[in-house]
Amino acid sequence: MANDVLTNTGESATVSPGLRGIVSDWSSDKQAFEVPWGKAMMWIFLLSDTFIFGVFLSSYMTVRMSTVEPWPIPSEVFALTIGGQSIPLILIAIMTFVLISSSGTMAMAVNFGYRRDRAKTAALMLATAALGAAFVSMQAFEWTKLIHEGVRPWGNPWGAPQFGSTFFMITGFHGLHVSVGVIYLSIVATKVWRGDYERKGNYQIVEITGLYWHFVDLVWVFIFALFYLW
Amino acid sequence: MAYVAIADRDHEQELHHPKSFVTKYIWSQDHKVIAIQYGITATLIGLVALVLSGMMRLQLGFPDTFSFIAPYDYYQFITMHGMIMVIYLLTALFLGGFGNYLIPLMLGARDMVFPYLNMLSFWVYLLAVLVLVASFFVPGGPTGAGWTLYPPQAILPGTPGAGWGIVFMLASLAIFIVAFTMGGLNYVVTVLQARTRGMTLMRMPLSIWGIFMATVLGLLAFPALFVSAVMMTLDKLLGTSFFMPAIMSMGQQLDYDGGSPVLFQHLFWFFGHPEVYIVALPAFGIVSDLLATHARKNIFGYRMMVWAILAIGGISFVVWAHHMYVSGMNPYFGFFFATTTLIIAVPTAIKVYNWVLTLWKGNIHLTVPMLFAIGFIFTFVHGGLTGLFLGNVSVDVPLSDTYFVVGHFHMVMGVSPIMVMFGAIYHWYPKITGRMLNTTLGRIHFWGTFLGTYAIYLPMHYLGFLGVPRRYYALGNTDFIPESAMTLNAGITISALIVGVIQLVFLYNIISSLFKGEKAGPNPWRAVTLEWQTPDTPPKHGNWGPELPVVYRWAYDYSVPGAAEDFIPQNHPDDETTGMVHKT
Amino acid sequence: MALAVALVLLVVGSVLFHFLSPWWFTPIASNWGTIDDTVILTFWVTGAVFIAVNLFMAYCVIRYRHKKGQLAHYEPENKKLEWWLTGLTTLGVVAMLAPGLFVWAKFINVPEDASVFEAVGQQWNWSYRFPGKDGVLGTVDPANITIDNPFGMNPDDPNGQDDILVSSPEVHLPLNKPVKVLLRATDVLHNFAVAQFRVKMDMVPGLVTYFWFTPTRTGTFEVLCEELCGLGHHTMRGNVVIDEEEDFQAWLNSNPTYAETQAQTGGDAEAGAALYAVCLACHGTEGEGNIALNSPKISGQDDWYLIRQLKYFKGGIRGSDEDDVFGRQMAPMAAILPDDAAIKNVVAYIETLADNPASATIDGDAARGRDIFSTCGACHGLDGQGIWSLKAPRLAGMTDWYMVTQLKNFKHGIRGTHAGDMYGGQMGAMARILTDDQAINDVIAYINTLDETVARN
Ligand code: HEA
Ligand code: HEA
Ligand code: CUA
Ligand SMILES: [Cu+2]
Repeated sequence: MANDVLTNTGESATVSPGLRGIVSDWSSDKQAFEVPWGKAMMWIFLLSDTFIFGVFLSSYMTVRMSTVEPWPIPSEVFALTIGGQSIPLILIAIMTFVLISSSGTMAMAVNFGYRRDRAKTAALMLATAALGAAFVSMQAFEWTKLIHEGVRPWGNPWGAPQFGSTFFMITGFHGLHVSVGVIYLSIVATKVWRGDYERKGNYQIVEITGLYWHFVDLVWVFIFALFYLW
Repeated sequence: MAYVAIADRDHEQELHHPKSFVTKYIWSQDHKVIAIQYGITATLIGLVALVLSGMMRLQLGFPDTFSFIAPYDYYQFITMHGMIMVIYLLTALFLGGFGNYLIPLMLGARDMVFPYLNMLSFWVYLLAVLVLVASFFVPGGPTGAGWTLYPPQAILPGTPGAGWGIVFMLASLAIFIVAFTMGGLNYVVTVLQARTRGMTLMRMPLSIWGIFMATVLGLLAFPALFVSAVMMTLDKLLGTSFFMPAIMSMGQQLDYDGGSPVLFQHLFWFFGHPEVYIVALPAFGIVSDLLATHARKNIFGYRMMVWAILAIGGISFVVWAHHMYVSGMNPYFGFFFATTTLIIAVPTAIKVYNWVLTLWKGNIHLTVPMLFAIGFIFTFVHGGLTGLFLGNVSVDVPLSDTYFVVGHFHMVMGVSPIMVMFGAIYHWYPKITGRMLNTTLGRIHFWGTFLGTYAIYLPMHYLGFLGVPRRYYALGNTDFIPESAMTLNAGITISALIVGVIQLVFLYNIISSLFKGEKAGPNPWRAVTLEWQTPDTPPKHGNWGPELPVVYRWAYDYSVPGAAEDFIPQNHPDDETTGMVHKT
Repeated sequence: MALAVALVLLVVGSVLFHFLSPWWFTPIASNWGTIDDTVILTFWVTGAVFIAVNLFMAYCVIRYRHKKGQLAHYEPENKKLEWWLTGLTTLGVVAMLAPGLFVWAKFINVPEDASVFEAVGQQWNWSYRFPGKDGVLGTVDPANITIDNPFGMNPDDPNGQDDILVSSPEVHLPLNKPVKVLLRATDVLHNFAVAQFRVKMDMVPGLVTYFWFTPTRTGTFEVLCEELCGLGHHTMRGNVVIDEEEDFQAWLNSNPTYAETQAQTGGDAEAGAALYAVCLACHGTEGEGNIALNSPKISGQDDWYLIRQLKYFKGGIRGSDEDDVFGRQMAPMAAILPDDAAIKNVVAYIETLADNPASATIDGDAARGRDIFSTCGACHGLDGQGIWSLKAPRLAGMTDWYMVTQLKNFKHGIRGTHAGDMYGGQMGAMARILTDDQAINDVIAYINTLDETVARN
């Protein structure tokens, strides 16, 4: 099934299905992606960032295998004693829940952004930022707890020194992403509130911020699975 | 499917309007100015690397003669020489320099999509260079761990600069990567989203394809270097054990345990191999345009050329361990990586054939850019073919870590892209400055560089066969290596010094032509691509005056039968003389 | 035109250079002739491509050079031609790759009957270990490494007790017997390479790597380190001596087992005191040295170093060179010591002598010397106190005029060139960085400024 389309210079180009279709679509006279520049740039940046986290995580897996000492048991290390009872992974469950919820509020913010609902968009973005901040604080709490228990980047009481080093490095790098996201969200939310984008006539930036935020969440899922569940 | 006219997005560009000298030439957001800033910085730091190579050659050619080159210095020299040449000169010059200059002009855009970010990219790059330079002045001097920076030695005493030097080096690399990412995002988005009306992807000049693909490689490969730099810094400063197993150093046990030195090598080469194509692909692209223009003939097999660039880029991510055949990794990897490595020869071979076939039945003008382009083909074929020795895992065993490898990568990286770089400067200088470079001086420069570098690097392969190891401060008394090898080494040194001096001719030419060069006119080479069709030469801020150009044909309509002239610019609308209208 | 001629000349020149120049692989001494064959095969394939592509290009340059009124041919692509070329190239690639992979399969699969030994790399020398009677190498751990257990042997491992330890950069192997070399490093990366065997492999701390080969020729073959491992990289040399079986066994048995090295006792200083009476005449009652007699200070010098040098003097490895005037005086003195036990005893006594820093007699520019010493310090320690694992003796606080003499001797090949002088060669290579006498004086002047009271470790 081929359909003819007119290109900008008035030539007709044939768009056919399948691989050829993709090629001819890409090489036709238009932008490669039907999106604003900023959004395209965010996509590509996130692709690059994916490689950063990918390398971090695969290095983590490698040293976990290369190390000669036993790996500390996550369910014990990451347990929290509440009311005299040790509950494994409880903090991390809450953290994950908070972060996933923040993705929800972000999605809603984007939605209201499409509808140009200034107040709701800003409010939801601020809510997202608040959830993000909560996440970072809980992470800070967890770090403090681990440091009190003697975990250091260069060693810990339970075994492989790489446990502490990869943990601090990777959650730290992720936490940095979340913190940057919180700042970014707050700035954009303020501008939305002030009506800067109303004047410009588009709310793209909200969507772009959303992309970044969802990405940071997604990365967390992998970190969660690899650090806490493995 | 609705086609959104690209040119209709002209309004999306928030062009910054410079007013003062400072905003025009220093804190400039104009891609052309940024390109020149990149170019000058890269050249200056490149000259440092060139001088270092001269010092290295003095030591190798005439050992025990120069008191100012002890092993301590020598290993610092080779490290800085390699690192500067690969990253701070070639990567920066091809992408930051030529990429910045050519992408908007060749695609008919007013500027990069985010000029402010583009400007930041240069300043951060400059910071990276300054940190690198600063490492020469810290206690202990710059690192001497080799440009591959392998741990454990890179951060242990016994290696020069294992204190501050290595930390500065890693910091500088991390900063460079930030700069590159800012620039790279711009280049990629500009190519994908900001082409002018009619400039389809398959009408883009190959220069753009090469630069584009190289940038994509950079965005995906630099993360590995970034992460390994972070981890090594932590190993060094905090005592983590990512790359450090339990070891003893200088008679004492260290506190490291359980890390993996081979992991670093994997990460480094996961970056490092794409990196060599980051250097090569822009050269591939640019040389295609030089050949077509100066042979007055369309590039042969354009579509194959594009596919070859894409294929090389893709495959380059799965060949990295060919640098590690004798590194102690699982030997079974050898089968896989040897196969992928040799497969890469096929798309590369297509490119070589198509360059040569572009000359075939052409109308060859032996201008200075053309001389360099042909010099490129010759040296690249030589270097590429020696790469096949190294890629074939069992053949690599006797040759790895010898001067054969040094010969290979200088031929393929230290000469051939450099040839293109020079050719490109002779080619675009008239557009950049409005004046021609002096041809006689250009010819002297070409002949000196071409013959001189061949005399440097051809013999190196044979030193490699003899078994002369690389990264040796001095060969000393080595039974199985004949005395005559030293004569050869001395000869190499003499050629290297001559070639180094000849670069002064080039520098003189560049500077004096700025003032005395013949006026160029807008299109001295009678080329078809858009950058030659600008209303002003050199192009003004915003490049195109009130209207963006519209493109009607591919970038290679030279010598079209029946046309009035032997070239039809890309923005020429006359349909009757359309050669190959590039459909799809 | 000049360009076309140049291209042709370069192609012809390269081919001639290849065939006529004397520079090529050293004659092979192992079973890996197949590697050489694949190299040659690769040469033929790539050589043909090199010649064809460049000559064709030269032809184009001549034939299609711009002339007035000439127009290029307009031909955007030629699918058929492109596919042909792609096909031929693929064929060429397969022709090189397939044999290469077969050889690799052989290279990494060690034959059943191969014997095993271990080569250990550390900055910047080699040592070796053979499995002993039980045929099994004992376990090792870098944490066990001490001056008395340089291999880091696990003292509780029964398999290790009979391991034969070769604390020398020279190893012997039997002719025509396949051998698997296990490679290990204790500090940084190294690479064990022997050009004549066509083998090399990195040594990685924390890993054991390997390769195998069968020596096919007797003789001495040089081992080079081919992975940058720091300042001494280019001086990290060793030897593989290929012997007939009997010679090999004799050599092997002359090396101690781990258990034997552990059973050895230290020297007896009291017994040494009597022996020292001979030394006293020249080196002084406190071993402080005597410039008039050209005898250096020996008190305060590391015991392992003194033992090694006494053995060398006794064995004619040091002090036998015609031009080593003072060394020739020492050699007969060392010969008086009847056996290793006596050497140990006298050294034990020397260790009890008072260690007073020698006085400075050399003038030089210590600031300049400091730069030079950044290289020396890598082995001798930045404090000049010597580092046992690098086999480098103490310099700080020792007699400076003696060091000047010896630096000159090393530099001119009077010391350090004897085949049996396993560590002197390294110093010889390093001494050559001192390009003139001024540099020697400068570096010694700097050594004189190093704090002699730094605690010894
Ligand atoms: C611009 C840079 C560049 C380029 C393009 C290449 C291209 C290639 N390189 Fe090279 N390489 C380096 C830069 C580069 N290299 C550097 C810097 C190092 C050393 C790093 C270090 O250790 O410091 C290195 C090291 C290196 C090694 C590691 C050696 C070792 O350390 O032991 C290997 C091994 O496989 C290798 C292989 C190849 C191959 C197969 C290609 C191929 O892409 C070449 C393909 C090209 C051709 C093949 C020629 C054209 C083809 C024809 C004309 C037709 C061919 C016909 C037939 C095949 C029949 N290179
Ligand atoms: C692009 C990369 C590049 C370039 C151009 C060069 C150029 C040269 N290189 Fe370099 N070299 C490397 C990359 C490069 N090198 C790398 C990666 C290593 C490995 C380091 C390591 O082992 O860690 C190395 C190592 C290396 C060694 C091996 C050292 C050893 O193993 O002990 C030697 C020895 O001769 C050497 C020599 C030279 C010489 C004589 C030149 C030149 O002088 C030859 C002539 C070249 C030119 C004339 C062009 C130069 C142009 C410029 C620099 C731009 C300046 C701008 C203007 C003039 C406007 N180099
Ligand atoms: Cu050991 Cu180089
Ligand atoms: Cu590579």
